[in-house]
This record gives sequence, C-alpha cells and structure tokens, in this order.
Amino acid sequence: MAEQPLLRIEHLNAGYATKAGFVRAVDDVSFSLAKGEFLGIAGESGCGKSTLAYTIMRLLRDNAKIESGNIFFDGVDLAGLDDAAMNAYRWTRMAMVFQSAMNALNPVLSIEDQLVDAVLAHKNVPKSQAREMAVQMLELVDINADRIKSFPHQLSGGMRQRVMIAMALLLRPDLLIMDEPTTALDVVVQRSILQKIQELRLKFGFSVIFITHDLSLLVEISDSLAIMYAGKLCEYGPSRALYAGPRHPYTRALMDSFPALTGPQKRMTGIAGQAPGLINPPPGCRFAPRCSEAEARCSQDVPHLVWTENGRACACVHCAQGITPNAPTPRHARGSK
Amino acid sequence: MSRTILELKHVSKHFKLTGIRNRGKTVQAMDDVSFSLAQGESLALVGESGSGKTTTASVIARIYERTSGEILLDGKPIRPFRNRAEALEYKKRVQMVFQDPFASLNPTHTIRAIMERPFLIHGLAKDHTELERKLVESLEQVGLSPAPEYLRRFPHELSGGQRQRVNIARTFAVEPMIVLADEPTSMLDVSIRLGIMNMMLDLKEKKGVSYLYITHDLAGARYMSSRIAVMYAGMIMEIGPTDEVIGNAIHPYVQLLKASAPAPEQERSHSNLQAKGEIPSLVSPPSGCRFRTRCPFAKQACAAEIPALRDIGGGHLVRCIRA
Repeated sequence: MAEQPLLRIEHLNAGYATKAGFVRAVDDVSFSLAKGEFLGIAGESGCGKSTLAYTIMRLLRDNAKIESGNIFFDGVDLAGLDDAAMNAYRWTRMAMVFQSAMNALNPVLSIEDQLVDAVLAHKNVPKSQAREMAVQMLELVDINADRIKSFPHQLSGGMRQRVMIAMALLLRPDLLIMDEPTTALDVVVQRSILQKIQELRLKFGFSVIFITHDLSLLVEISDSLAIMYAGKLCEYGPSRALYAGPRHPYTRALMDSFPALTGPQKRMTGIAGQAPGLINPPPGCRFAPRCSEAEARCSQDVPHLVWTENGRACACVHCAQGITPNAPTPRHARGSK
Repeated sequence: MSRTILELKHVSKHFKLTGIRNRGKTVQAMDDVSFSLAQGESLALVGESGSGKTTTASVIARIYERTSGEILLDGKPIRPFRNRAEALEYKKRVQMVFQDPFASLNPTHTIRAIMERPFLIHGLAKDHTELERKLVESLEQVGLSPAPEYLRRFPHELSGGQRQRVNIARTFAVEPMIVLADEPTSMLDVSIRLGIMNMMLDLKEKKGVSYLYITHDLAGARYMSSRIAVMYAGMIMEIGPTDEVIGNAIHPYVQLLKASAPAPEQERSHSNLQAKGEIPSLVSPPSGCRFRTRCPFAKQACAAEIPALRDIGGGHLVRCIRA
C-alpha cells in the first residue's frame, strides 16, 4: 500500500492532428500501476487503447502530440522529457511488444542480429556479451539456441511472437506493454504465449499493460482491468470484481458480445450502432447514443470517472449513485490531488 | 431429421507443389473428410489456421476440384461441369461468404453494381422494376436501410460490418441451399460481430438454408451451430452435436482447444494440458495420427496407422485410438 506505484497517469490528453481536425484519442485518462501488477486494457478498435500505449512509450507519430497531463514513471514525468532523456527509459526500463510480430521483425536480418542490435542500441556492452544475453533470453521463451541464425520467415507465427517477447525482455525492463500480442495467433498458441508471459513475470517481477479487445481473456490473466470507450476510461477495477459486477453499461454490453463456451445457450444482444468519431464526439456521455440505459441528462453532462471502494472506478451517471461522501480514499486516487 | 442436402464421402484435396526441389510433393490440405449437412442445419467447422477448414469450403464451393472422394449435393454425385449452365446452377445452390470484407468487394464498383451482378448473371429479374425491388429487399433484410442510400455508395464508404452485410446480402440474392461462411466475423470489431451472427441466424430461420460455419472460435461455433466438426492438419478429429463435442470432448486435441479458450469464470491455470508445439507440415505429415506429435497421451500404436473416425454413439464420431 505504502509503496509508490511504478506508473501513475494523471489527466492525460493525447491525439492526432488530421486534416479534418484534432482527434483526441486519449481523453482525460488517469490510472496507476503497481510494481508487478498486470493491467488489462480492453475496448473496441479506435477506442484509444493503442494510442495510450504509444503515448506511455512516447512513440507517437509526428502528427500526434501529448496535449496535457502527466505520465509518472518511477516518480519522473515522462511527458516532460526530451528525446535524449526518454531514450534512457525506452527498452531499458519499459519495453513494448507490438501487435503484428510478422511486420515488427526485419525480414532481411537474422534473429541474432536483431536481438544483439536491440542490446547494443541501449546498453554499452561488448558484442559477445550481447549475443550471450540474446541466447539466454531465447531459451527463456522456449526457442532453441540453434534457431538464433534463423530469419523471421523461417519461424512460425507463434515463434516470431516469442522472439518479440524475448527482445522486449532483453534488458529486464520494469514495465512491459503488449499491444494485442496474440490477436493474429490461434487459441492454442495464444495460450502457450500467455503461460510464458505469466511465468516470466513471476520470475522477473515486471509489470504488464496488456491491450486487447478480448475481454474474457483479460479477466482470466490480469489483476486489474481498464475499459476504454471513445478515448475515455469508462470503468476500472480489480479484474474478478469487475467481471463479477460490471457497473458501466458499456462494460456490460461488451461482456454480452462474447458467446460463452459453457452455461445456457441464449440469444445475446451485443451493442447496437457504431463507436462515434473522435473529431466531434457526441456531447455528454460518449456511449449515450448506443446505451440502453441512457436518459436525457446523459447527452448533456460528461460523466467523470468516480473512484469508489476497493479501487474501483466508473464513469457513468448511474454508477455515481449510492456513494457515501466520506468513503475511504481509494488506493489509486491517493497521491493525486 | 430433415433430408440430407450435402454429403462428403472421404474427400481429399492435395495441392501439387512446383519448383525443382519440390517436384512430386503435395500438400495434403484436406484428407478423408466425410460429413453430411441436413436442410436448415448449421454445422460449424472449427480448427486453427492451416487445419484445412477453408480448403474444405473451397472444395465444396468448387473453387478447387477435389483430388479424390465423392461429394453428393441433394443426393446426386457432383461431376466435372460440362458447360457454363451447369456451373451456374451449382453456384446458385452453393454460395460462399468470405472472411475479409475489405478484399471481397471490388473497390471500383458501387454497391449497386456489386449487388446487381448475381441477379443479372443468374437471370433472376425480369425487368428493371423487379431488379430494383429485389436490390432494395436484399439490402434491407441484412439491415442496410435506406437501401437506395447504400446502393449509391462505394465499398470504402462503408464500415467493415456494413461491408460484410453487403457480402451476405449478395450471397442470399440467389436464394442458395447452402451457405459456406468462412470466418465471416473474424475481421470485424467485437461489438459488430454479434450483430452479424444474429442476423445470420435470423436469415437461416427465415430462408431455411444450411450453413457450414467456419471459425477458429469454439464458443462462436457453439453459438451458431447445432453440430460441430473439429479439424486438425487436414482431417476431422471429432464431429457431433454441439453439446456433446464441447461438453464431452473425447479427442485430446479438442480437449486442448477447450482448455486453451479464455475461461473468465475459472481460476487461473486450471488445466494440466500443456499447449506445446505446432501444427505439423502437411507436405510430409507424421505417420499415423496427425496429432500424435503434440498429443500428451501419444503411444507407439498412434504412429502405426491413421485412426478411423469411429462412432461412439449419438452421432458423435472421434478419430482417436483411445476412443
């Protein structure tokens, strides 16, 4: 409890300048991540979850910018760092596994060259030691050292994704951000990769931010869950509690979008309509036009994320009811004014 | 039980490889596949990529001709098309919905041009007014209304879900008996998927068509179908009523698939089944059972010969020597 969180994001706003206007893909997002915590971020495409990841890593494209807010990583505000200072964090302290391992690896370089390159770019060690580190890391992700001379096309999709994970963990970062790392893979391969990540996390103690659209997967593997919709955080909380008692209508609708493998066979409803554009988002609650519980006030007042007991938060006028004003300060709100 | 409209008997499809090093080699993409489909029934074909699901659909749609085995449509064995009329007649009865809604609509054509084609090719409209009426009907039954508005647009002006609806409308335009749906929702956003699935279920009820619903998602298969066939490395490993295959999986591969699916209700690491290894090469598949290289229960006998698909009762068939 007393321990400082590894990552604390406060009122972060970021987005892209486009011809049609500014797309604020991350809108007033705040949360914190403890050391060793596994946070899952779920939401549909275009909800800003990948932009959030790229913003934390400060890997935004040229037309994108952080408008305001803070990203405290181990006490330092990354949002205010220049590129040179940021480079000291990237890969050594925080690393990322990108969505498509097929495209993220260089097809004309061997796995060895790419892994050694990653070490040498961030750490001043002799090449032989870098190679030693690469071999060790590959073995940790169950890739035999004799595959190190292979080129990406000689490996299967699952192996390529494991190489990406090995590359991200080479310098033992404190934070691993994974952007839909298993989306292109089959369930069986996906399962083996998730098992591997959990195993390595217990071994090295790093924190994970895991981004996916597959909510049921997140509930199973993560400690906490953040649900994003149209650039905003709409619900946050411990995974099990959130799954057992979702409060935001969007979370409930999202859960009702995945057929289950067990339980009674019933017709599900899903979510009608489409997510709004972010250049001119609807006034009030952004989910209101698709929400089955929307009232007149929902399209006028913007609901704020309200923290309640047990580290849970929800941004909906309906969740705000029934909270006593003298509720204990939630863990995640502590420290932020 | 309603009548059988499609039957596959020991159907195989082997693709010849080309090039000096690969001369004489084949990819055994689909091997000894047998199943039947009743009128109005939905059968799900489940498996990982490379398991031969799409090849099976393509062979039924006759995009590829089978290498061996027999296919009966409405009781009559299919044979090579002798003329265009025969090919058209077959394709009118068996239609396919493709996986990628971004690639399966011609980007230079309007939705009108795309939707007109099945009616014109199959001569399904007497005159202009009938064509117009059918175009509007087709789009409105997949939830694209006002239809005239959509007819004017180009594919890039539609979202992925809307494009897949156009694909489905085009498929149903010719009033087929069988719709082969090749992962119709896998490229769509989560919130859109269920809408497409529900619409397909409604259309099935209304039109009495049969579905071969291809997916890699066991839970989606359960939602869409009354029977499930699980494929692995080109072969059907287990087939039967949905509740039997999911609730009482016998084949180790199907058990592994079940254990790998996300299970939010359960506590972590609930399974002792280990997900190791990957699908074998189909150019030189392992002898005997094709799953034995990954199977936790494999023994010597598994390498000896390919196990037969054995009926264990109630229309539940399993290809495993332990069954």
